[in-house]
Amino acid sequence: MALAATLLHNAYFCGRCCRHKALQPLLGPLLSDSLSKSYSSYRRPGSQPEKKTTWQNVDLSFKKSIEVLKTQLGMLKKETEDHLAGPEGQSLTHYMLEQTRVVWEFRSQEDLNKWVISSDVEIGGKSEVYLKLGRNNQTALLYGTLNTEVPRDGETKYSGYCSMRAKPLVGSFARKKYYDWSNFNSLYLRVRGDGRPWMVNIYTDPYFSHQKDDLYNYFMFTRGGPYWEEIKIPFSKFFLSSRGRVQDDQHPIWLDKISTVGFTIGDKVNGPFQLEIDFIGLLNDRAHTEEFAYETYEKNPPL
Amino acid sequence: FILMLSLTLGTMITITSNHWVTAWAGLEINTLAIIPLISKSHHPRAIEAATKYFLTQATASALMLFSSMTNAWSSGQWDITQLTNPSSCLLLTAAIAIKLGLTPFHFWFPEVLQGSSLTTALLLSTAMKFPPTTILLLTSHSLNPTLLSTMAIMSIALGGWMGLNQTQTRKILAFSSISHLGWMTIIITYNPKLTLLTFYLYSLMTTSIFLSMNSTNTLKLSTLMTSWTKAPMLNTTLMLTLLSLAGLPPLTGFLPKWLIIQELTKQEMTTTATIISMLSLLGLFFYLRLTYCSTITLPPNSSNKMKQWSIKKPVNTLTPTL
Repeated sequence: MALAATLLHNAYFCGRCCRHKALQPLLGPLLSDSLSKSYSSYRRPGSQPEKKTTWQNVDLSFKKSIEVLKTQLGMLKKETEDHLAGPEGQSLTHYMLEQTRVVWEFRSQEDLNKWVISSDVEIGGKSEVYLKLGRNNQTALLYGTLNTEVPRDGETKYSGYCSMRAKPLVGSFARKKYYDWSNFNSLYLRVRGDGRPWMVNIYTDPYFSHQKDDLYNYFMFTRGGPYWEEIKIPFSKFFLSSRGRVQDDQHPIWLDKISTVGFTIGDKVNGPFQLEIDFIGLLNDRAHTEEFAYETYEKNPPL
Repeated sequence: FILMLSLTLGTMITITSNHWVTAWAGLEINTLAIIPLISKSHHPRAIEAATKYFLTQATASALMLFSSMTNAWSSGQWDITQLTNPSSCLLLTAAIAIKLGLTPFHFWFPEVLQGSSLTTALLLSTAMKFPPTTILLLTSHSLNPTLLSTMAIMSIALGGWMGLNQTQTRKILAFSSISHLGWMTIIITYNPKLTLLTFYLYSLMTTSIFLSMNSTNTLKLSTLMTSWTKAPMLNTTLMLTLLSLAGLPPLTGFLPKWLIIQELTKQEMTTTATIISMLSLLGLFFYLRLTYCSTITLPPNSSNKMKQWSIKKPVNTLTPTL
C-alpha cells in the first residue's frame, strides 16, 4: 500500500519535473496545477503533443521509492513539529507580534522553481514569456513579448496574456497545504516594472471543483522607472472573478486558506514587457481600516 | 424565522419519538433547516460548508434509516429502545458518530464551522448535537461499548491535537466540541445521565463563548487579542468561560469531567480514565493559549477594523460566569 503510494508519488514528481524543465509549462492562470490529463483527446494548439503518457513515466525501482518514502516521512515529522510549535510553525508570540512577512524571495534557481509561467501559447497565441534570475541573483525577471494576434480557431476573440503563478504548497505525501495569512491585511510587493499594468491574482483552492475557477484579482500599476517600487495592495481591494468574469456577488477574500498568488499581464498592447520582482511579502497595515472596497448591496431587495 | 421554527420542530420530533421513522424525520428536518442558515452569506466557503454538511448528514441519516430497517427486518418492531440486531447497532453507532462529529468521522466539522457565521456555528455545535445524542441515549444499552470508547478516546485525542495551532476561533471551537463529544460518549454506556449533564453544561459554556465572540466579532486569534479595548468585562468573563470549557477545577466545567472519571474508575476502566485525562491536557493547552491571547497579554496595538469598535448588541456578561 505504501509502496503503491510511493510509486504514484514518484510518477507525480517525475511528471512534474519533466514538464517544467523540458516543456514550456502549460498551466494557464485559470487552471490549477495537476497531472496531465489522460482522458481528453482535444489538444489545444499551443500545447505540445504528449509523447509519453504518465503511466509510462512510472519508475518501478525499489530503492528510489524507499528514498521517496524517507523524504515524505521526514516532511511529516517536520510538519508535526511545526504543529506543536504554533501557528504556521512559529511560536505564538511570533505569530501575535508579526507585522510583516516575506513569503516569496528570489535569490536562487530553487526559488524560481516555485513559480510556473504560462502564456497564451496554450490557446494558440504567439506571446512569449520567460523567467530568469536577475542581476546578482537578487531578483526575478519576468520578461517576454505580448502578442495580441488572435489564434485562428474560430472561437477565440481576444488573445495576448502572460502570467506567472506560484506553485501551491505541498505537504507530506502530496497533500495540499495552504497559507494562513489571516494576521495580515495587505500584500506588499517590491517590483520594478516597465509601466505596464499587471493583475495580481490570488487563488484560494476550494474543496469542491465547481468553485475551482474563482480567483481574487486586483491591479498593480507599475511605474517603469529605474527605481524600485513598493506596492501595497490591501486584501480588501481584491474582487472576485471566475474564469475571467467579474462576479456580481462580491465578498472580501478569506485569508485563512490561500493556495497561490499570480501575476498576469494582458493589457492588449503588443510589445515587450518586463517585470523585476525583489520579493513578495505580507503586511499588517495598521492604518488600513477598510473592510471591503466594493459595496455588497442586495440585488433583489425586499420591498 | 421559519428556519428557526423548523429547527425547533425537528429537534422536538426527534426527542419525543420512539419510532425510528419519526426520529429520522426529525433529523432530516433539522439538516434541511440549517442548510440555508449555513449558506446565508454567499461566500464560497459558506457554500462549501453547506455542501459538506449536507453530504455528511445525509449519509448519516441514510445509514440510520438502513440500520433501523435491518433491525425491523430481524426483530419485527420499530421501537428505538429495542435495538436487537448487532449489525444494525454497529451501523447506528457509525451513523450517530457521523452526525455528531466523532472521530473518525470528524473531518467535516471544523470546515463546516469555519464556513458558517458565528451564530450558525453556535447552532451547529449545540442544538444540532442534541437529537443524535438523545438517540444515542435511548439506544445506549445495546450499543457496543468498546467501539464507543475507542471512538471517544480518539475524539478527545484528535480534538486536542488538531486544535493546537489553529488561528481561527471557529475551528478551535470545533475541535473543542469534538473533544467534549468524546467525553460525552465515553460514559454513555455506563451512566447516560452523565452524558446528558456533560452535554447541557457544554452547550451552556459554548453558547456563552460563541455569543461573546459574536458581539466582538472575533473570527481569528489576532482579533481576540484586541478585544480587551472594547468590553473589558466581557473579556474577563470570556477567559473564565474558556477555562471552564477546559475543565479547570473551581469552574463548572470540571464537574462533568470529575464525575465521568469517577464513573469510569467504578467500572474498572482506570486506564481509560487516565488516558483521557492526559489527552484533555492537550486541549487545555490551547484553551490556555486562547485565554493568554485574549486576557493575560495586552498586545502592543489595538484593532484597526471599523466594525469591531462597536458592540453589536448589549452583552450578557452574566452567562459566562455560570
